[in-house]
Amino acid sequence: MKRIVISIVILAAMACGCFLSVYAVNSFTDKMIDKIHEVERAFEDGDIETSSQKAKELSEDWNEFVDFSLFVNDPGHALEITSSVAEIHSFAQEGNDELYAACDRAEAQIDMFRGVQNPTFWKIL
Amino acid sequence: MAIVLIRAVILYIVITFSLRLMGKRQLGELQPSELVVTILISNIAAIPVEDSSVPMIMGIVPILTLVCLDVIMSGFMLKFANVRKLMIGSPRIIISEGKILQNEMKRLRYNVDDLMEAMRNQQIFDVNEIQYAIVETAGKINFLLKKDFQPAEKQDLSGSGKSSNSSSDNPPSVIIRDGERDKEQMKLLGLGGSWLTKILREKNLSEKNVFLMTADKNGKFNIIEKEKK
Repeated sequence: MKRIVISIVILAAMACGCFLSVYAVNSFTDKMIDKIHEVERAFEDGDIETSSQKAKELSEDWNEFVDFSLFVNDPGHALEITSSVAEIHSFAQEGNDELYAACDRAEAQIDMFRGVQNPTFWKIL
Repeated sequence: MAIVLIRAVILYIVITFSLRLMGKRQLGELQPSELVVTILISNIAAIPVEDSSVPMIMGIVPILTLVCLDVIMSGFMLKFANVRKLMIGSPRIIISEGKILQNEMKRLRYNVDDLMEAMRNQQIFDVNEIQYAIVETAGKINFLLKKDFQPAEKQDLSGSGKSSNSSSDNPPSVIIRDGERDKEQMKLLGLGGSWLTKILREKNLSEKNVFLMTADKNGKFNIIEKEKK
């Protein structure tokens, strides 16, 4: 009986952990995508300083999250997002138009990172 | 390199804990579900050790999930006889009273060679020596020899001898396990429900209070009561 209780507790804890991790990834990636849009918007308005500031925040946020990302996902995704975020920061500082492409790339990579975590029917199969 | 070493140590601890959680049954004969879990664990555990780009949690979560499900399922099997039957089946008789039940062997996909091999493993070389052969749920075949071919026991030497209705001719079967009546077995033994009710009433017991009850075709029985908590 003790073993069954321990098993149920472990299973419940793991299920909670797994779904919490999905929730954490979803809310963090939403936040990241919002921030990317803010960078783009500020850049479009010609506000290089705000755009650069937002890009720096984006980079800092990602650096805080990267350890958790390595815990739940393979390092390939983390590496791609890290380099795209770094590009956004440097393009924003330079006022380089390639920032738009870098933002789109980062958004796609973040979407992919989120997609890998979400347990959809087709992915489960 | 250090990552692989640390991962191997952690997985060793997780797998040891998992096998401990599965209990001692695991270390003996494997039931089908346990065999599946054991094979899967060995494969899953190898992935994060071999490939350091795979997070270790991807190995630990499925291992613990499989082991926990196995333990929970074994709890269900303990509680519900139907679940037990569905998951691990029930022992089947392939030789009854010296006669080979060919249809039953066909149903179990056992051929003569399997039977002969199992006999030889138990030092039996003549099928005529066998009174009963039972295929256990784990696939092992156990034999009960006819009285004349059984090794002598103390009671044979002391002269008391075995009666013609001794357990070698007429082995007892389980008719109540853990408070639940095995109707199929009672039917095979030719014992009715009224006979059982009468016995239990005489003993002042209810079916739920019986841990194990065995009986043979002559109605000779043995009852072990459930321990009080």
